[in-house]
Amino acid sequence: MNIDRRHMMKATSAFALALSTPWSASAQQETPRSGGTLTVGLVNDNTKTMDPRLSIQLDERQVLFLLYDTLVAVDRNFSLQPDLAKSWKIENDGKRYVFTLQEGVKFQDGTPFDAAAVKWNIESRLDEKVLSSQRAQLLPVIASIEIVSPSVVAFNLNYQYPSLLADLADRAGLMLSPTAAQKFGQDFGRNPVGTGAFVLKQWVQGTNITLARNPDYWRKGEPYLDSVVFRTVPSAVLGLQRVGIGEIDVMANLGPAETKLIDPRTTTAMKLPIGRWYSLQWQVDRAPFNNAKLRSAIAHAIDRNRINQILFDGQGTIADGLTPQGLWYSSPFKPGFEYSPDKARALLKESGWNMSDPITLWAPSEASYNRISQLVGEQIQAIGLKVNLSPVAQSEYYARVVQKSVNFTPSSWASRADPDGLYYFLLHSKGTGNTTGYSNPQVDRLLEQGRSITDQTERAKLYGQVQEIVMQEVPYICLLFGADYVAVSNKVRNWAPSPDSYPRFRRAWKAA
Amino acid sequence: MSGRLFQRWLGLSLVAAIVLVAILAPWLAPYDPNMSSGSVLSRPSAANIIGTDQLGRDVFSRLLYGARVSLVIGLAASLVGMVIGVPIGLVSGYVGGKADLAVVQVVDILISLPAIVMALIITAVVGASVTNLILILGILKWPIIARIVRGQVLVLREQAFVEAARSIGCTTTRILARHIAPNIMRVLGAQFAIATSTSIFTAASLSFLGLGLPPPAADWGGMVQSGFDYMFLNPLLTLAPGAAVTLTVLSFYLIGESAK
Repeated sequence: MNIDRRHMMKATSAFALALSTPWSASAQQETPRSGGTLTVGLVNDNTKTMDPRLSIQLDERQVLFLLYDTLVAVDRNFSLQPDLAKSWKIENDGKRYVFTLQEGVKFQDGTPFDAAAVKWNIESRLDEKVLSSQRAQLLPVIASIEIVSPSVVAFNLNYQYPSLLADLADRAGLMLSPTAAQKFGQDFGRNPVGTGAFVLKQWVQGTNITLARNPDYWRKGEPYLDSVVFRTVPSAVLGLQRVGIGEIDVMANLGPAETKLIDPRTTTAMKLPIGRWYSLQWQVDRAPFNNAKLRSAIAHAIDRNRINQILFDGQGTIADGLTPQGLWYSSPFKPGFEYSPDKARALLKESGWNMSDPITLWAPSEASYNRISQLVGEQIQAIGLKVNLSPVAQSEYYARVVQKSVNFTPSSWASRADPDGLYYFLLHSKGTGNTTGYSNPQVDRLLEQGRSITDQTERAKLYGQVQEIVMQEVPYICLLFGADYVAVSNKVRNWAPSPDSYPRFRRAWKAA
Repeated sequence: MSGRLFQRWLGLSLVAAIVLVAILAPWLAPYDPNMSSGSVLSRPSAANIIGTDQLGRDVFSRLLYGARVSLVIGLAASLVGMVIGVPIGLVSGYVGGKADLAVVQVVDILISLPAIVMALIITAVVGASVTNLILILGILKWPIIARIVRGQVLVLREQAFVEAARSIGCTTTRILARHIAPNIMRVLGAQFAIATSTSIFTAASLSFLGLGLPPPAADWGGMVQSGFDYMFLNPLLTLAPGAAVTLTVLSFYLIGESAK
């Protein structure tokens, strides 16, 4: 990711995102120093493959974005930037995307990156035999990939799909060497070859992943670091201790409470530009939560400021919707359900809920989910409801949400570069991530319309409308946007966390 | 005072003190143990003498209420162990023969299984609640109790007074209940105390491993675990509940050892 001064200023002033990069001003004047090793702490290494086509684990993506480049890149405010694609044009009423590629780029095995390589990359993901984790996402969309010239490639789509660029800034856009993939076959996942700034040197699963500088990287002079090492740590807090003594340079997944442990002489806490969206979800198509009055009553019983205070030291943002402020598709929050136990009790009476029936609230074991469950349980008990907290292991949690065997529970999602990514996925009656059973023809229509136009202002309006409906019908109780931190050694220069939380270190360097 | 007597009195007075704390918790605790507050992870102060946890709850209040959870689970679990183990041990030891052989085999197999691993597996399957934990820990305790009772009975049944009872036509039930059981009471008492101490320890270990009582229950093992990450901010978050477990386990153990 590029953090130059222009983007910094854009992000801080125009978008007023809370950035904490105290060193950035002085860092800009320092000359980058080449060499050195940057060590990244990885909690519970879950990496299984380095093949982007097959990757599922979040941990893998921490490494993949260093080994490979994407066609499109995301900026700090989620705006899309060129990467392997130098520029693009949208034609045929939004059904054809024409990409002009960077020239002279070579894969780490010396083979050229060109239009044919892009075509192979996408077609390989569509191939049934490859079992790509992105197949389901791309298959309905892509009609054909056309090589216009060696440096121009066109994507013909079955329908308008403005989310394509955002998808190509994520896993689906990571370009791997076709030659190497054919050569290694099944073993490609252990022998990754991309165009990225770093190459895989050593990978001891569960212990460390060592990457070395790619000396032939196509952006001349980059990267500055000689190597990047991912080291497994038992917990983020223990990783943080190791940042303090200089064993680790970057440790993510920290909350505001943990940042109290930081010694500013050695370590800086950097806030992620966009915090995760926390909510409570339930199944609205069956008892008991098909009772809209009951849902509203519970929503009014929740004191979100208190949750923010306790969970995020007041550093989160109350969410009256799904989209944080400061993105192109944000719309101003309309005041949602206010905290009012009296109103909640009145609605509860109207709902006809039998007060002696207990409500089960599922408490996943992960720390922030667990705390949310306990606080919410306490608050809805205060309006007279009987609440059972039922623990569920984090490893089983999402699978059980999908099976609908877990009903009322906290959930959280990272924002996406394109609103379609989360809105359609969660709220459309046919969305693949619709686990609430929510189905509203008006919302479906708005979401389909949102897919069919490319004008950003118009689209922002549509998603704003959906957001308002969601606040009224409460398929999710929107809680807040969290405050997530990365602890970074004071020796690290020219780096800040990205909104998608995958680190890019090609322009980072380490002071002596 | 002999060492053994001192042990017993020390154990008994500690247990009495812990029981008193458990009973008086609502009056002793300065706060509601499950009530969150805005001051999260505060260090020890006059208002919160041990500090507050991740949800701003007063750790001292939770520590006092935690005594209830530990005692109830520990005592009830060893009672369950007794109720199952004593009759089996009595009958197996007294009757002997094939029945005895079968019991001994089963007991040996069960004892060879590591208790904490078994408890982990069963809790993971059936889920943790006070009742479940009591049953699980009790079921894990009975083989040891049965084996000890059987051993005692094997010695007692050859004694002259048992033979005398048998010769005047006492029924087996009567001999077991009136002549043998009273003579193993002392051993049973010791075993009860030791079973309680190990049950409290196992329950705390389960909580520490994340399979304890569901939130927001104040239980010591869970408190040790959740305070772990904040050791460097406030070591008492994890040391205080840790010390409480140790003290309780130790006091029951002292009673048990002194009565052997």
